[in-house]
Amino acid sequence: MVKVDLAKISVTEANERIRVAGENGEDVEVFNPDARHHIGVGLIHPINVRVNGSAGYFCAGLTDGPNFTIDGNVGWGVGDNMYQGSVVVSGNASAIPAVAIRGADIVIKGNIGSRAGQVMKAGTLCCGRNANFMAGYMMYGGRIIILGDSGERLGEDMTGGSIYLGGKIQSLGTDAKVVDLDSDELDSIRQFLDQYELPFNGSFQKVVNAGEHLRYKGIEERVRPMPFHTFSGTHAYWNAKIQEDIHIKSRTGRYRVRGYGAARLMPHLSDLAFRADVAATDDDDVLSKVNLRTVIGDKYGAKPLDLSMPVMIAPMSFGALSRSTKVAMALASSMSGISENTGEGGVLDAQREAADQLIFQCLAGRLGWNIRDMLRADALEIYISQGAKPGFGGQLMAKKVTEELAAIRGIPPGIDLRSPSRHPDVLGADDLAIKIEEFREATAYKIPISVKLGAGRIRDDIKIAMKVGFDFVELDGSQGSTGASSADVLEYVGVPTLAAIEGALNGLADIDCSGQLPIVLMGGVMDGIDAAKALALGADCTAVGTAAIIAGGCIACMQCHVGSCVVGIATQDPEHEKRYKVQQEALHVHHFLESMRWQIASIAHANGYDDVKQLNRNDLVALTPEAAEVTGLEYAPELREREQQRLPANWKYEFAVR
Amino acid sequence: MCGIAGILYKDTDKSFNIGQSLVKMLDGCQHRGKDSTGFALYHKSTPGQLHLRFFVGDDDGTAAAIGRVRNILEEFGAVVVENETIGKTYRAVVEFDGDVQKFAYALEHGAKLISIGSSLDIIKDIGTAHDVDEAYHIGEHQGTHGIGHVRLATESDVKPEAAHPFWATGFADIAIVHNGQITNYWKMRRRLEQRGFEFRTENDSELIAVFLAEQLSRGIALETALEESIDILDGTFSFLVSTDTEIGYAKDRLAAKPMILYESDELIAIASEEVSLNRLFPGETLDTREPLPGSFSTWSKSI
Repeated sequence: MVKVDLAKISVTEANERIRVAGENGEDVEVFNPDARHHIGVGLIHPINVRVNGSAGYFCAGLTDGPNFTIDGNVGWGVGDNMYQGSVVVSGNASAIPAVAIRGADIVIKGNIGSRAGQVMKAGTLCCGRNANFMAGYMMYGGRIIILGDSGERLGEDMTGGSIYLGGKIQSLGTDAKVVDLDSDELDSIRQFLDQYELPFNGSFQKVVNAGEHLRYKGIEERVRPMPFHTFSGTHAYWNAKIQEDIHIKSRTGRYRVRGYGAARLMPHLSDLAFRADVAATDDDDVLSKVNLRTVIGDKYGAKPLDLSMPVMIAPMSFGALSRSTKVAMALASSMSGISENTGEGGVLDAQREAADQLIFQCLAGRLGWNIRDMLRADALEIYISQGAKPGFGGQLMAKKVTEELAAIRGIPPGIDLRSPSRHPDVLGADDLAIKIEEFREATAYKIPISVKLGAGRIRDDIKIAMKVGFDFVELDGSQGSTGASSADVLEYVGVPTLAAIEGALNGLADIDCSGQLPIVLMGGVMDGIDAAKALALGADCTAVGTAAIIAGGCIACMQCHVGSCVVGIATQDPEHEKRYKVQQEALHVHHFLESMRWQIASIAHANGYDDVKQLNRNDLVALTPEAAEVTGLEYAPELREREQQRLPANWKYEFAVR
Repeated sequence: MCGIAGILYKDTDKSFNIGQSLVKMLDGCQHRGKDSTGFALYHKSTPGQLHLRFFVGDDDGTAAAIGRVRNILEEFGAVVVENETIGKTYRAVVEFDGDVQKFAYALEHGAKLISIGSSLDIIKDIGTAHDVDEAYHIGEHQGTHGIGHVRLATESDVKPEAAHPFWATGFADIAIVHNGQITNYWKMRRRLEQRGFEFRTENDSELIAVFLAEQLSRGIALETALEESIDILDGTFSFLVSTDTEIGYAKDRLAAKPMILYESDELIAIASEEVSLNRLFPGETLDTREPLPGSFSTWSKSI
């Protein structure tokens, strides 16, 4: 038995000892917990941990295997995201007990706080007394047993799973209904109650999803295929795209869902130019003359990402994209010495193997999120929002929610998945600081933690990101694409990438923190020229999503949401996916990335620099009054003609295929 | 976005070390915000005396600011019984029995007024609980009850006057601390301004202080005002309010912000997190409870 006294050592030190005890298969007893947070997080061994007193937030969170006994109360999120194992609490639990669990038994003998079992996928949450507001909110599976009364809105927007209630239902949530339970279920509940010594002789009511909100009503039919340049044509009055939007709405009676990003013309990186005539360079060997290496993520002592150039693959999910596409992106990222990003859908083994450096994204629905993949990631990323649809959750239409994909995410197959837009445990900056701390404790402070921010009120948000302790920010503008969203949101909600970076830089300057929080800018970065402009504006790195997809075979038909992508990218249909040649497309993406490398190096060299970090705002001018207004750069319309030839013929591509 | 804490000792005959208790509780939840820390401390009152505290800075302008305040005090016939310059503030205890609101508005021409009260003293500044304790000797304050706050600034500036606790300028002895965000701030502010109430910041939390002061000034009981606030204020909130005799809380209907409560025969302690309560009782397992969504309550010294 390993004894840990929190009156004498810090939680971080205690967690290190508990981890070692886990590796050695020894049980642990914790003394004087005094409601401190993060006790025992990140444990992946099946040991017993006894906590003698009350624990704070996320006790036993991000674990797989251990059995916890807590002799007292617990704070928010007890057993957060637990896979196997158990937690037994003798007192009360605060909000969101058993949030996002994927298995495990969480037993609270007293009362439970609001939103119990939010986004849980499997396992059992059992409450010995009364539940609070919105128990079972957005749960996807598993069961909640409440021996006392429910609070208001029981089972609010639950998608799957069951809630068994021994007491009174105060009120039912949206899309929840009461049904009969059969004797097998009752036996199983009785067995569970016996196992955890919870005497109860009453009867149960069962609450499940009513199924009214699981699927969109009305199938959206495409009128005719339309290439992107037609789609984004803004000059014509009543142009083809507007007509098509109207046709679709006239059939479904709701907003249109589509892939890609904002197609309206708005100030962008292409409205900026370098003062120097960067196209005039004819040096064949710029790559050896400019240092492009970019190290990012070591602000708080974690092992940073070490990129061969200031470019990343942007977050895109397995789900929106096929497995083959994700593996191709991972391969290409390794060939070019940069990082791949999981997006929402969790880590694929093949993707992990193929990517030398992988960022693992944590979304509000915690779909595919788990401690084991956290521990094998090279960086973590808390998704707050994305540029294409800030403030909204993701959408994955039924055709893409296959058995395999549903299993990874822990959700029922065949639903129109609308991911939650808000993290269950982050309702403010204060909560976010605690969440980051949980991740750091769970990964022993070894892995960088970043935040994905779709620009909204970015000038304020960047300050929060700075204060709560992120290693870096992935900042996304409205030209960034998505796999599926309401077209109205895509066009009218986001903030353009140019305005996003300006707001972020100004926000950091407001609090005297310029240069202290690395920014990875994304959202319509089309090539190395855009990337170089982003870097000169003040970004530390850039990321490409859509450009990488196009390099890897996307034909920009914008039917990503439908699920029958003809080139096998935005699909989960094996017949369609077969068309995607992983090795070949990985090479194509790699070639494209190498073209970006060459462009970035050439531009830095043409500006007289030997390190890409020397690019700065004085190197840039604005070609349009709008871009000048947004960025504050000098307005230089006289350079417009020169810039119209975006890729002059004398630019040479030099890339080595590894 | 923040952490809040409050404590009230039920025994009205004695003074307790409320300063030290609040420093411990706020240090316990300092992870919720490190930009600034503040305290509203209630001492035993002496009839006819008012406690005043002003921001006067700690620079070349300090002496002039204090001079201006002294002149205004003289103008109003307020006799200074006790005074000191500490940290960035000037504190004075005066004998005064006129119209407090008029007095307060006039004093603001001298320096930024932090609080007025027969027993209330608000102390707030940039930094952690320990920083503010060191600068202002919070731990030495004896009294009956108090509330405190640690702040992580999200929209408004990081400066001493934007720190909590807030009060409604001119309304003696009322203070609030708030965790959350009031989303109908401008609408409510305009409504209150039309009724002649003045705001001194653009911080949404000040609205709660003004709203409650307005209710109390109409003779409405604190408990009723809190009940009303849950209907009228939009957004996320867990807040604490204190007057010279009471302490109370209100929590929004979505239960978005945390709050936990411990009550014994001697005291009532409320905080954002149990870890703050345990700071008062290390090594103990407390029988705490979490206030329900949309709930409110008050406790009075005279129980």
